[in-house]
Amino acid sequence: MDATLREALAARFPAVDLDQDVLLVPAADHYPLAALLKEQGYTLYVTVAASHHPGPEGDAFEVATVLRRPVRGAPSVAWRVVLGADPHLQSLYPLFPGADLQEREQLDLVGVRFDGHPNPVRLMLSEDWVGHPLRKDYAPNMPHAPWR
Amino acid sequence: MAVDQTNLSYEHPLYATMDKMPGITVATTTVDMLLTWGLKNSLWTFAMATSCCGIEFMHANGNRTDLDQMGSVPRPSPRHADVMVMAGTITVKMAPRILRLWEQMPEPKWCIAMGSCAISGDFYRDMYSVVPGIDTMIPVDVYIPGCPPNGDDLMAGLKRLQEKVEAQRAGRWVEPEGRPETAKAILPALGRVIDRDGTQTERQLRACQSMGLDGNEHRQSDLVAKSAGLLSNLLKLKGR
Amino acid sequence: MDPIFQPFRDDPHYPLDRYEAAADLMLLNMGPQHPSTHGVFRLKLVLDGEIIVKAVPYMGYLHRGVEKMVEGLTFAQMTPIFNKHDYVSPMTNEQAYAVAVETALGIEVPRRARYIRTILAEIQRIASHLLWLSTFTLDMGGVIGGGAAMMMYNFREREDIFDLFEAVTGSRFHYNTHCIGGQRHDLPEGWVQRVRAFLDRQERAFDEYLRLIRNDIFDLRTKGVGVMSADLALGLGITGPNLRASGVDFDMRRDAPFHAYDEVEVRVAVAQGCDAYARYEVRMAEMRESVRILRLLLDQLPEGPICGSKPVKMANAVRVPDGRGYTAIEGPRGEIGTWLIGGGEDKGAKPFRLKIRPPSLHAMAAMSYLLPGHTVSDVVVVLGSLDPIMGEVDR
Ligand code: SF4
Repeated sequence: MDATLREALAARFPAVDLDQDVLLVPAADHYPLAALLKEQGYTLYVTVAASHHPGPEGDAFEVATVLRRPVRGAPSVAWRVVLGADPHLQSLYPLFPGADLQEREQLDLVGVRFDGHPNPVRLMLSEDWVGHPLRKDYAPNMPHAPWR
Repeated sequence: MAVDQTNLSYEHPLYATMDKMPGITVATTTVDMLLTWGLKNSLWTFAMATSCCGIEFMHANGNRTDLDQMGSVPRPSPRHADVMVMAGTITVKMAPRILRLWEQMPEPKWCIAMGSCAISGDFYRDMYSVVPGIDTMIPVDVYIPGCPPNGDDLMAGLKRLQEKVEAQRAGRWVEPEGRPETAKAILPALGRVIDRDGTQTERQLRACQSMGLDGNEHRQSDLVAKSAGLLSNLLKLKGR
Repeated sequence: MDPIFQPFRDDPHYPLDRYEAAADLMLLNMGPQHPSTHGVFRLKLVLDGEIIVKAVPYMGYLHRGVEKMVEGLTFAQMTPIFNKHDYVSPMTNEQAYAVAVETALGIEVPRRARYIRTILAEIQRIASHLLWLSTFTLDMGGVIGGGAAMMMYNFREREDIFDLFEAVTGSRFHYNTHCIGGQRHDLPEGWVQRVRAFLDRQERAFDEYLRLIRNDIFDLRTKGVGVMSADLALGLGITGPNLRASGVDFDMRRDAPFHAYDEVEVRVAVAQGCDAYARYEVRMAEMRESVRILRLLLDQLPEGPICGSKPVKMANAVRVPDGRGYTAIEGPRGEIGTWLIGGGEDKGAKPFRLKIRPPSLHAMAAMSYLLPGHTVSDVVVVLGSLDPIMGEVDR
């Protein structure tokens, strides 16, 4: 992380610890952070990955996003947002059109809803599939009559 | 679309008249031999290529192991083809379409299961979205194991199919091929089509009819209702 | 292009009923079984006559649940799985996985192993681009129309490459030759000479290809078709040759070197055309560049061990502790990334969550932006020029 970006982030998001490899960001800062990074030249939308963390005090979800600057050195910023039992997060589609399919995939497989997504339907599985396979409580060998 | 077998007649009335003509048996046998020769040496393939095995199938039709020399020309449309080569993993979302494509192929038709995914689902067979083998939906004539089987294996498989076609045309009984040894240890989640009565396939066919162009895939709720019988059957199979 | 289609090019979710001839539109379903969709991909096209107004991609017909499956496997068991997403460049996929785990554990890979990886990756790049070239021309010419001729030429070289890989790994594709911390197989005797001979053949073959495909029809069908601006490409997350064809000078091999790319000079091919022709240009230039890099690498190939000081032998020996990180390498189709959360079952012997970032899925997202305003016959050209592999899109 270069100095100018660090300064900009520290000024805008004082609560975020910038020394981590993967920044831990409150859900409310998810979209503003992406907008700021885009302004700073982090224009390459790399990926979004959601995961399910069941715990003793209920389900938790984590959504990680990675952006990159397409220049020498390929600097990237990754941050994650921790969500509660009813996971929903602001969609990045207005900033990055690539978020369309990516967020649909995470919605499909993990079941994190993205607010403001233009077409929040399943991507990989058929639309009337029940459950989200990448949740930890979904059995991998779930039968699906009559095919398996 | 199951055909009502009772109303079909395979015998043409001309046959009875022809049977009485002197020397006709010699002529028909000769013609029949010619037809058999033509059929077995022009098994056009329809590559139902879903994944990696499809690439190897392309290579088999490429310049090193040239399958064209056996008369097997790859056709992009099922309506031109005699043999469906199921090359690749079958998923739940794709399965109804594969069945429909199989239905679209004109008789007589044969099916080759190429690669372990098409035979038993390979190591994906236990995943929620993978169908454990093409033989749970479609009767398979020739199994070609490998991941992926290379062109020579495919050639050997086609040769086996040619022999089978010849024997079938001559009216000889052909022992149906079993799943290869490597896959035998695994009890398929669903029984093979040829091992069970026709009801399940019919259900599957009906399920495949209920998919619309616009809607995403088959309606699962319909399916659950329709396949109650299949499920009980499945449990029986599992308990076996 | 008619400006009436511009709103659909800007926003694929633009409502159809605002289109002036909305009542006359026709729906055309392409796929999931279609000879030109490079696998099982479905495209719903809304047509006004022969012009596409809107294109909606559907995928998931090859969703094999890999990300769920790897959560139940140990790290050593996983390499063969990673071959199978992108079955046209299995080698680089394996490497992306190996690099991800090595980065998470801080394992140093011996120099010879890094060289071998680079060599294999570059040969794989040639093989992958060759398949792209043959399918691209096949789509445009059709099998009967003579397009298959190109495929035969390309497959001649691809078979050579398969032989080279078979000599190293024992398999034509799906190699399983990378282990965490190094390579499983060393280069056999005389392999380097065989590669050199192959490179000479390949270099001559490029001119042959050009004589076959350079004609007016090819130019007419590719120039100005599927124009993708640099901003759109970046926003969609498109990487690799497709991004470089939009004029962005970015290549992870040069800009964030992995393997042994820091020890050779990589000349990045960039084209400014942004269209299908530019993507063709970039890939052709990349193949020639790979030949040059390979010659350099073969000259410098060092001796030494191919696996780390502590070879990972036992299946459960690798444990990735709790933590998360993103690693990426440049494959033939772009950035193959891995988002890895460690500390899964069995005290970290299995990953908690492993997300593969497939470059092809991002490329598929471009379809609905590029197609409006083109004719139906351009669909296969645009699709082919993006070079998607459906196994990787769906996983
Ligand atoms: S058998 Fe192997 S090569 Fe064939 S589709 Fe399955 S994984 Fe791919």
